[in-house]
Amino acid sequence: MAAGVLIAGTPLAAHDMWIEPTGYHSRIGEIVGLKLRVGQDFLGDPLPRDPALIDQFISVDADGRKPIVGRDGTDPAGFVRVSSPGLLVVGYRSRPSRVVLPAEKFNQYLKEEGLEPIAALRADRRQTGEDAHEMFSRCAKTIIASGSPAATDGDRALGFTLELVAERNPYALKAAENLPVRLLYENRPLAGALVVAINRANPSSRISARTDASGRVGLRLAQSGNWLVKAVHMIPAPAGSGAEWASFWASLTFDLPGAQS
Amino acid sequence: MRRVAIAAIACAACLTAVPARAHEIGTTRVRAMFDSKNEYSIEIVTDAASLIEKIDVASGRTAGASGDDAGLARRLRASDAMFRRRVGVDFGLRAEPPAIEYDVIRGTATAPAVAKITLRGRVPAGASRFRWSYGWTFASYALTVECESCRPVTEWLEGGEPGGVLPSIAPAPPTRMRIARQYLALGFTHILPHGLDHMLFVLGIFLLTRVPRHVLAQVSAFTIAHSITLALSMYGILSAPARVVEPMIAASIAYVAIENVLLRQVKPWRIALVFAFGLLHGLGFAGALKELGLPRSEFVTALLTFNLGVEGGQLTVIAAAWLATSRCMSQSWYRARVVIPASLAIAGISLYWTAARI
Repeated sequence: MAAGVLIAGTPLAAHDMWIEPTGYHSRIGEIVGLKLRVGQDFLGDPLPRDPALIDQFISVDADGRKPIVGRDGTDPAGFVRVSSPGLLVVGYRSRPSRVVLPAEKFNQYLKEEGLEPIAALRADRRQTGEDAHEMFSRCAKTIIASGSPAATDGDRALGFTLELVAERNPYALKAAENLPVRLLYENRPLAGALVVAINRANPSSRISARTDASGRVGLRLAQSGNWLVKAVHMIPAPAGSGAEWASFWASLTFDLPGAQS
Repeated sequence: MRRVAIAAIACAACLTAVPARAHEIGTTRVRAMFDSKNEYSIEIVTDAASLIEKIDVASGRTAGASGDDAGLARRLRASDAMFRRRVGVDFGLRAEPPAIEYDVIRGTATAPAVAKITLRGRVPAGASRFRWSYGWTFASYALTVECESCRPVTEWLEGGEPGGVLPSIAPAPPTRMRIARQYLALGFTHILPHGLDHMLFVLGIFLLTRVPRHVLAQVSAFTIAHSITLALSMYGILSAPARVVEPMIAASIAYVAIENVLLRQVKPWRIALVFAFGLLHGLGFAGALKELGLPRSEFVTALLTFNLGVEGGQLTVIAAAWLATSRCMSQSWYRARVVIPASLAIAGISLYWTAARI
């Protein structure tokens, strides 16, 4: 579980996708806009609501699970009414998109996202020099807080294919405490995966760690503000899918209150 | 003035070079418009706040609060130099950087503020391509290229890649007027200065008679005849190989020149013969026109104007000959000192061609 700081510079070969609520802290009854963003270094472009892409777009709070409503083609892609105190978890799971990446770009992307096993597999198959047909899907989550934070509140696992689950309430985190995050693939812990955390105010310095055997990383988030935690997992695409590789992009966004840092 | 605009074909060709797009389509739209005066304007419509944020971070500033919409426009204008760094308008030639206008359309309660950025400039003379890159978006976006005489072409580009994907500029799919002018000129130059054989044939027609009516009758017969075979062979109804047609054209010139020596006036069969030769020359013109190629969209225009150009070339030859000989035409020695030697010279040259072309 080695942690380190990476400096991001040049444009990355593949882009992250995350949910940015119009507010991470909200009052009961407030309507929060849910902006979908695609980009890198926590700098994103709006992704308007596209019904063709949405597999699940849901919110879960103490009262249960609800679909997120919104108007097609618009940004923010959805709105949620905060109805109970505690944490509100919003999840967006996309249907797969297909992309063909030139060999060089794909290899670069494997390196950037820590997908060495796939790079090795490609090398074994003597495919390193070949273009890659990929299908990727997004598993984005955001955590919105309402009321006073309670350490007993927590993130919720939504059952997404690849999912980052905060194991402590980030809104109740004390200074110098690590945020334990667990990475699940098909609801089971995923070991050895690269998890990266990016702070909005300082997006070019990233904190990264590999998940341990229980799929966990402990992220030392020293800075307050908005955080994006992300991980990518890739597998050989199932036969008949028309793609060679299937990737899953998990993201988790939340705000780390200033008082705690 | 050379007109440059986008050819739909060129764009379609470059699409194949683009990696298949991801389907995460953002809100950015880019529209590039090329007008007939060689000026372009490229309009970028994009989410204002996310653009400002990226520019702020790229400038080394902390991405700040968005501020009001008027503030956004001000901040965009102030970041002109930074904005230009990730925007590429490349014609493969030295060109003035575009003038850029920044505008922000106010947001509403449900719709965020939108930046409308317009780049304007001139396409450098001789430009043969257009390469666009826009590095201020990470999402897929649509680039639509429009010009006055072509259908708009939209392609999906991946953002965030400086150097991005390129639609090519090519000469505009020409307008009817332009084709008409072009083929008129091609027809004319096919006679003057390129068609020495046709020139000699027309001179041969001219030399026999001093009566304008007779010259006109022969020229008309020739014109009607070559128009018929030109059209028939361009439509593929008639075809004759050049190795047959070309020596026969040379022989026809020799025939007319020799007849000029033997005859003193236009005989009825002469018109018929000139008509027959016209049919032959038409096949020759068709060969030349096929080599030039005819635009499929303006086939008739090109055919008619090429023919008209040929006519213009022939009439110019006759007019020049008329001017050159008008003083001596009425002299008693005109036939002996002009018509016969000139005809013999033409006959000599064309007999040589006949032999050379066989």
